[in-house]
Amino acid sequence: MILLPCPHCGKRNSNEFSYLGESAPRPTETGDAKLWRAYLYTKENPAGWTRETWLHSGGCGKAFLAERHSVTNEVRATWLPGRKEPDTTTEAGS
Amino acid sequence: MPTSTRKGPASVPDPIATAMLARSPVRQSKPLRQEAGWEVSSADTGAALELADLTPITKVLVRASSSAVGSSFSDFGRARRDEAGHLVVGARPDEWIVFGKAGSAAATISQIEERLAGAEGLVTLVDVTHRDVVFLLSGTDARGVLEKICAIDLSDRTSPDGTAFRSRVAGVSCLVVREDRDGRPAYLIDADRSYGQYLFDVLVDAGAEFSVEVAGYTEVF
Repeated sequence: MILLPCPHCGKRNSNEFSYLGESAPRPTETGDAKLWRAYLYTKENPAGWTRETWLHSGGCGKAFLAERHSVTNEVRATWLPGRKEPDTTTEAGS
Repeated sequence: MPTSTRKGPASVPDPIATAMLARSPVRQSKPLRQEAGWEVSSADTGAALELADLTPITKVLVRASSSAVGSSFSDFGRARRDEAGHLVVGARPDEWIVFGKAGSAAATISQIEERLAGAEGLVTLVDVTHRDVVFLLSGTDARGVLEKICAIDLSDRTSPDGTAFRSRVAGVSCLVVREDRDGRPAYLIDADRSYGQYLFDVLVDAGAEFSVEVAGYTEVF
């Protein structure tokens, strides 16, 4: 069982969550098609730390952001959208 | 040419009278009776571990920001009774479900409206009585049954009396509320109506090793 820490509910079984994909800043220049194409379709998919959006669909129903290692499945931080993201740059494994 | 002939009023059941009786999606065991416009079972077991279908109870959904309702409602993840006997459950960070006596939706809504009259921002109240099923699993072994089909730690330390959480029970997204009865653990399980019969069957199956018995409708509010 892989546990994912929801900021509202605490650690829960990963089958309660829906993966919403890599998280990237939304383009501010609304008219630029290139930026929007990159935002919508281009994913980095790294073998390492990645920033993702998850939805706790089987629980509180809220979306949150997570930093997950795509190889080890370790999750080092989760936080709510719009909140200050935790500083994880000094931790080992980055 | 074949024609249909009405054979008199006695052969045609009154469509209004039959349609007005609400039914749970779960098959009810006999004997049957009516409770606040619902067809319910009045089976009595007296068993140590019971599963009862409490779908007729009133359920009112409240959506608001937690700052708007303030301390008049229970916190997220907690359930408590209010002065009127309703069970107020913090189901989501911005959502509550108020359980009440069967057939009391209008009265419950007006009581909540009164209590939240001074709340700032938008507050949404919806009667979801017919949207959800509610089961009551009560008895000393209730925790053992639920642990088989739900991945939450149900120990007294992490899930004491008055705990509420949303999680998957047998794969179905449910709201589970622990409200002990007569000193024995009891769990209210609220799920979408369309999953009712499946979830009920799974609970009966999981409880078989603990000799669970299906009880009739009991008034808990």
